[in-house]
Amino acid sequence: MDRLRTRWIIFSGLAIVVIVSYLITIKFKTAPSPATLKAYKYLDTLPEKSVVIFSFDHEASSLPEIQPIALAMLRHAFKNDLKIVGLSLFAEGTAIGYDLLSKTAREYDRQYGSDYIFLGFKPQYISAILGMGESIKRVFPEDYLGNMTDTMPIMLGIDSYDNIEMVVSIADGDRTVQWVEYAGARYNQKVMAGLTAAMITSYDPYLSSEQLYAVVGGLRGAAEYENLLDKRGGGSRGMLAQSAAHLYILALVIVGNIIYFRNRRRRGGG
Amino acid sequence: MDIGILVAGILTLAVFSFLYKDNPVYKAAESWLIGLSVGYALVIFWQTTIIDLLLVPLFSEGRLILIIPFLLGLMMFSRFSKKTSWLSRIPIALMIGAGAGVAIPAMLYARTLKQMSASVMPIIENGSLNIEAPVVALGVISTLAYFYFSREHKGVMGSTARLGTYFLMIFFGATFGYTVMSRMSTFIGRVDFLLTDFLHLIK
Repeated sequence: MDRLRTRWIIFSGLAIVVIVSYLITIKFKTAPSPATLKAYKYLDTLPEKSVVIFSFDHEASSLPEIQPIALAMLRHAFKNDLKIVGLSLFAEGTAIGYDLLSKTAREYDRQYGSDYIFLGFKPQYISAILGMGESIKRVFPEDYLGNMTDTMPIMLGIDSYDNIEMVVSIADGDRTVQWVEYAGARYNQKVMAGLTAAMITSYDPYLSSEQLYAVVGGLRGAAEYENLLDKRGGGSRGMLAQSAAHLYILALVIVGNIIYFRNRRRRGGG
Repeated sequence: MDIGILVAGILTLAVFSFLYKDNPVYKAAESWLIGLSVGYALVIFWQTTIIDLLLVPLFSEGRLILIIPFLLGLMMFSRFSKKTSWLSRIPIALMIGAGAGVAIPAMLYARTLKQMSASVMPIIENGSLNIEAPVVALGVISTLAYFYFSREHKGVMGSTARLGTYFLMIFFGATFGYTVMSRMSTFIGRVDFLLTDFLHLIK
């Protein structure tokens, strides 16, 4: 069988498995991992009007995986009437962050400027993180829409990490590390993360050493969070498809090994 | 249908067409992605850095001190000529010096000292054996032994280093597994978009 045909069969098989799993409506309950539960409990027990920073530190390409995590955590924050300060330390995350924040705010009828604000993008992330420890308004004199931040009602009592309960970094790379290293280590700011699955192992040392408060990781993390929130979203919808896709890959690995060893025996390689 | 969803749906299908084989439709989608990403980042950087941090404060607010970073920034462009390229070493040296000064203490604290203290755990916790403690200790020591090259990996040192490779393999295996999961999630996210927002096959 030529390589192109084999590839076509493998990819078509995966597409069929995922699409069929999507069309079957089975509710997939996932038991929350300790890290997701910790993140949920923290946001759940924060008093109303507490301020949380959501930093959208990711590229557009990771949106399919990041979006369910961000939406679940934003919904939780808005539902519990927390005040949200959104920003981005990654240029591509700017418009995405604003879009996700405003979309979720509309669901809960929250007002821009008093319940949430989006400060936009700031280059030189290390200076920005360190600068926010001194004055957020000095680092972001204007918000994403061009309003002066010191005139916005939400920012009246907020000036530094002293007024921020938690930083939630939604990331697909190492930007959360900088939040931990500069905001966490220097200003004792609590940091948690919503991460793509590929990054989870890189952040495990920070989680184990309690420098990172909690992690909601990948589509599975999003599904766990949605279950805790009792609000079905992209994570829960994708869980059956993900499990089916993993079984399919496992089957391919087994079949590939059988074919390999059979061919080796035929060639007399033992 | 919303024009944004229509364009996103068509481009998603164009990118997926690569799974069959390389083709002009895929290449066009890829070029648009790169072009748009670079263009978007350029506009954002121009506005948030050059306009907001330099031109407005310097010329509208009269903060003359900003002439210094402005000149240092211009010096970076001296690299385009062999005669003047030495000038670019000044801002580079400043950036590296300041960057290292800020980063080293933070990294040393977060990546070394805190990790070291987290590696030391009590073996008996609340009256019961904490199995994680000896496993972590063994993992740290054996992995460090693998990266210790001042002594030949023979005898006890060799066996410890060999054990370290197993810990490394477990880490690489877990990372690879998570990466596969991540890529699957990305694919599933796009299928979710195609079936719900683009084709309206599921609600």
